[in-house]
Amino acid sequence: MKKKILALVLAALMLVSVLAACNKGGSGGGSTTTTVSGEYEEVEINGYKYKKAKDMTTDNITLTIHQFDQKEVYELLAQRFHEIYPNINVVVSYATVGDDYNNALTSMVQNNQAPDVLMYSDCDYALSNGYLLDFSSFWNSDPETQNLADTINDAGLGCFNLEGGQRYAVPFKFFPGIIYIDKNVMKTLNIPMPDQTWTWSEMINIIKQATGHADIDGMKYYGLYPYNRLDSYYGIAARQDIIGEFGFNGQEFDLSEWAIGEQEFSDLKLGGYVCPDRESDANEAWTGDWDTWAGATSHVAVFSEAFWTFQSSWNNPSFKEANPTIDIYPYVVPAVSEADASAGHHSIATLDFGGIGSGTKYPREAYELMKFVSFGIDGWHTRNEIYANEENVNASGTPLKYDVMPVPLTKDETILNEYVNNVYCAGMDDEHKEAWKTYFQSCMQPISFGWTNIAGYNNFLVNYFNNLSIHTLVDNGSAKAADYKDEAKRQADYYHAKAMLDDFGPTSLYKVLNEDEIARYQAVVDAFEKG
Amino acid sequence: MEETKKMTRQEKKALKERLKHLKSGKLEKRDASRGYLFMIPWFIGVAVFLAYPLGTSFWYSLNGIRNTPQGLFYTFKQFGNYTNILVRDPDFIVELVDYVTSTILSVPIIVVFALIIAMMLNMKIKGKSFFRLIFFLPVIIVSGPILGMLTEEGAGSISAIDMNAITAAISGVLPRMLAEPISDLFNNMITTLWYSGVQILIFLSGLQKIDKSMYEAAKIDGGSGWECFWKITLPNIKPMILLNVVYTVIFISSNSQNPIIGLIQTSMFSGDQDKGYGYAAAMAWLYSVVVILIVGLFALLLMTRKGAYEKQVKRAKKAKKQEARNRKKIERRNVRNAKRIERQRAQGKITSRTTSREDY
Repeated sequence: MKKKILALVLAALMLVSVLAACNKGGSGGGSTTTTVSGEYEEVEINGYKYKKAKDMTTDNITLTIHQFDQKEVYELLAQRFHEIYPNINVVVSYATVGDDYNNALTSMVQNNQAPDVLMYSDCDYALSNGYLLDFSSFWNSDPETQNLADTINDAGLGCFNLEGGQRYAVPFKFFPGIIYIDKNVMKTLNIPMPDQTWTWSEMINIIKQATGHADIDGMKYYGLYPYNRLDSYYGIAARQDIIGEFGFNGQEFDLSEWAIGEQEFSDLKLGGYVCPDRESDANEAWTGDWDTWAGATSHVAVFSEAFWTFQSSWNNPSFKEANPTIDIYPYVVPAVSEADASAGHHSIATLDFGGIGSGTKYPREAYELMKFVSFGIDGWHTRNEIYANEENVNASGTPLKYDVMPVPLTKDETILNEYVNNVYCAGMDDEHKEAWKTYFQSCMQPISFGWTNIAGYNNFLVNYFNNLSIHTLVDNGSAKAADYKDEAKRQADYYHAKAMLDDFGPTSLYKVLNEDEIARYQAVVDAFEKG
Repeated sequence: MEETKKMTRQEKKALKERLKHLKSGKLEKRDASRGYLFMIPWFIGVAVFLAYPLGTSFWYSLNGIRNTPQGLFYTFKQFGNYTNILVRDPDFIVELVDYVTSTILSVPIIVVFALIIAMMLNMKIKGKSFFRLIFFLPVIIVSGPILGMLTEEGAGSISAIDMNAITAAISGVLPRMLAEPISDLFNNMITTLWYSGVQILIFLSGLQKIDKSMYEAAKIDGGSGWECFWKITLPNIKPMILLNVVYTVIFISSNSQNPIIGLIQTSMFSGDQDKGYGYAAAMAWLYSVVVILIVGLFALLLMTRKGAYEKQVKRAKKAKKQEARNRKKIERRNVRNAKRIERQRAQGKITSRTTSREDY
């Protein structure tokens, strides 16, 4: 009998503990505020006065943020946010971008632990599952959102071109498009360095002039090392009404500019102006090593490398010590027309987006956290403090500055000066620092890659563009880019219209399209399906 | 005679009745309940971790699913997902054909390689345990992302092999559908051979169970090593071959390097509203049917002769029994006929004429 009672008590205890574990943590009934009041109090930490919003909950709550940025940076940011708002505990969830990330996100959602703030890698996945909350009311009432990189508001990045003015996302990470030029190579080849207001044709001329010259030291010089494809750059730099890849203007695609860029890039490749791919026999024949990176050869003039490569490689003290002859200068991706080149112009950038989770109980608090880790002035001050301290390292011991450090999205001068002087250009001579300052002033009209910001874009890539291997066919000369532009436009318009209806239409989770929008997108889908 | 028979039937009936009402002893009852108790975790495991997920996944495959923070949203599509996969998704069919071809090609290679290595490890050599460890080591390495990284670094292929020449040679002779998987096989030769660690162990245990006196007897009779292999070793390890083939097929099919697994995963996380969980579940079901068919094909090919022999013996025994029953039937009929004749004779219906065969 005693044993039976003991067994019953144990079973009851287990049941209670299991139920307790299943219950999601947190207290309070959630926030109901839908705007930012603009009332703040000051909280001083490390000599900096943070603005603490007064319209936030005073309950003890926990917010979860799921992201694929730098884990260590987010943990430090979360810590600082908690110092400003001691009643808000922030849990940082990290996964590497790709299927692992989506897998982790799906598991969180299924286990009733949907994050309050999240990044996404493919907008279609986030939208089709209704992960994102419309935070336009917070955005529109917050003055800080008006002082960001121009295109965030002008091109409606994160708004998915909805006529209702909804905003579901904002860039969390900003890596501007960039062209690097090795000044030493230019000097050796006796080619003058271009101005920061250079044009596309000037860049192509430099690439062509710099190719060859094996007689100098026995090793061939190449004009271009293309980490990013030039057609992606050209398609945005060609016209200022283009606000997305493949000539997307907010409603439809026009691939005529892309076709010119794609063909030009193919011609450069076939003409021998582009250096061999890394890990190839051609690379081994050129450098003597299969795995040598062209950026370390001192024999390439122009690089369409990623923004983060400068800090992670060329500016890294150990690299500089091993390769003293390389002298890299930054240039904004050139515009095609001279008028655009001399004024500010759009250029493609790596923008990783995120938003507020639609399952959050605390949208106001989640907005403040999202702002802190992405575009907010206070958040960026904290980031500058983190990056400037080289004792803050990642898991492999590299200072976070030399990992993948983004650029501030805010145009706040204090923040930009802090970033340039204390972080990015720390230790540089005046000439280089000046070049970077000019560059940072010119790169503030970013346009994101399509899959982050255009509904249906990824489906178009998977089902049509990549399925036909168009890049490969044009690159190896077996097809012309112009042959694809009309059919590609038809396909891209269809996938976009279908995704807009699926994600925002009457049968979607959001249901925010108006009648005109529904009719317009439906007409595109019907026309395509009729054939 | 009739009386005795009736008694026996009655007795049998009574016995049956008694057995019906007979309660088992306490000890027996306790044993039975303990048995069930020990089986309960297994039943729970099967129900929770096999039957329920299988049922759920099949239900998913009939629906379009959106996994929102507010819960799962289902749209019943009947067999729409299956139709889309088979009719509209070219990737799945292409990958499936590649998978079937490469599996059918690589399974024999892996199993034969494992058998050769197992036989070598079963010989009297120095450092036998060390070599066994070496061959088993890839089993630990090939799991997870490490294999992916090694393959990316080119560690999966033999660098001395001129792949371009092999691909050109194969493409010249075979159609593209066959040439590609064969050339891929050569390209991933090292990886393929790494898959054989467990199979080597299984073969090794089979080889060690073979009675050594059989080899001794064969050698006394002048049998060569080659003859011993075909007449003694191979017949004795035939069940192991089937086991290894099934294991290899399952291993290859569920390996993370398998492109179909990647395709299912990509579909699961696709932003395309026609895809998602339901679509991926339908893909998984179609894939599992194909895997089962491949396992069935190999099982049919490798069913041991011993099984077929046993079937023949059973059939012969059945025929013998039937024959015996027929014989008894004839005997009983003869007895009945003899009695009938006796009775008729007693009643005077039959004259004193001696009966002959013609009377019947």
